Amino acid sequence: MAAQEAKRTLTPEGFGKFLRWLSEDDELAVREYQMIRMKLVRFFIHKGCADPDELFDKTVDIVVGKIESCAECPRPLAYCYGVARNVWYQDVRERKSVTLDGDVVSPEYQDTNVQELKLQCLERCLGQLAPGDRDIVAKYHGGQGRDKIEIRRLLADGVGGGNALRIRMCRVRKELRMCVVECTKRSLN
Amino acid sequence: MKSNLPDRSLVRQYLLGRLDRNKELEDQLSNDILFNDELSEMVESIEDEIIDDCLDGTLDSADKDAVDGYFLRPPERKEKLRFARLLRHHFEKPHDLAEARLDAPLSNRTNVIQERIDYRSAVPWQSHFRPYGQIVALILLSVGSLIYIFSVRKNQARLESLLAREREHSASLVTDAQLLQSPILALTLVSDRSRGDGTQIPYVQIKPSTKRIMVDIVLQGPSLGAYDVHLETNAENGPIWSARLLPLISDSGDARLVFDLPIQRLKSDVNSFVVSSAVPGSGRPKHYDFRVKLTR
Repeated sequence: MAAQEAKRTLTPEGFGKFLRWLSEDDELAVREYQMIRMKLVRFFIHKGCADPDELFDKTVDIVVGKIESCAECPRPLAYCYGVARNVWYQDVRERKSVTLDGDVVSPEYQDTNVQELKLQCLERCLGQLAPGDRDIVAKYHGGQGRDKIEIRRLLADGVGGGNALRIRMCRVRKELRMCVVECTKRSLN
Repeated sequence: MKSNLPDRSLVRQYLLGRLDRNKELEDQLSNDILFNDELSEMVESIEDEIIDDCLDGTLDSADKDAVDGYFLRPPERKEKLRFARLLRHHFEKPHDLAEARLDAPLSNRTNVIQERIDYRSAVPWQSHFRPYGQIVALILLSVGSLIYIFSVRKNQARLESLLAREREHSASLVTDAQLLQSPILALTLVSDRSRGDGTQIPYVQIKPSTKRIMVDIVLQGPSLGAYDVHLETNAENGPIWSARLLPLISDSGDARLVFDLPIQRLKSDVNSFVVSSAVPGSGRPKHYDFRVKLTR
């Protein structure tokens, strides 16, 4: 409950002020904001934070409060990152008193219908992939044991090495994941 | 050009929270990830790798603790894990979905969801039509191919039959043509005028290509040596061709005169070979008649 009470949200006024600080041009300001948000949320995720969005809002709140003193800041992202690190430290200190989740790796219970819906969405999203991506994702996840290793080795040879394959798979999975999330939301609403 | 990216295992340690105690290194890496898009993408791929290891069950106990207590705390990573599991489920056990669907129509709730997919998604009919459409297209293609192959084979058989007939016909035409265009005609004369009925005498048609006639006269009675042969026509007095010939005698004693007759003086008319033994007093000469028709 203490964590809930301490939760802060970015107000519209604060958000407007932050945008003006980023740029006088609305479009540029929004683009810059989105970039900073994406990068800082990723930072909080990398640091194992349970609520990266909230920590980002907290970061912006703090930055808005300091805008008067950093009006001429040439690198907003670097400045925000500095603030975000402090927010993270604070989160780590508070985190120690919070009970960790249970077994998060084991498959959790999910409504069968929702699961089926996701699978249907996945099929649909796979169908929307470029043929080359669809082929590679199917092969990457195909096979078992040694076959799987061999398939992945061949795939890696085909795309320029193991790291290149991992990067490509990461991009395809990201595209698929976003597609499935959108598809599921649309279907449930 | 080699990119200056950190080692993947170092990034992995970073993502498992093991660099948090090494403030300088952690800050440096966090900073690099923030400003280097290539490194940022690499970090994401290593996240996927950790999730895969997690689902494969290949993490050691220390890594598993780090994953449970640190790595999987953000909801986004939990969502990534769920998605990776979904992806595996789809590719490793595709039959599960099919089985689930067989059961699904019994459930009203599922039907509702199905309707939502059908009516609210951006391209529902395409995605549902596509697999069935492909199957139907495949079946149509197969049937079409069979019909085509069958018709091709049928046509081929018909054509082969026609070809055989044409070849046969062509061969006979060639034979006919050869016969028609042969420079040699055969004329066999068996009965002399005294034995024939006079109405059906042998007939030869001489074409422009004909150069000569090979005549075969079957002699009656025992051979008496050489024979004088004269060719006579109604139009001319006296023979138009003459020769003294020795007969060919078979083992059984049959004798025949075989010789070539030039056609230069032949005309369309009834002609007659007058055959007589060269031996004096051997009997009356015999007349072998034949009709000639010239087609110039």
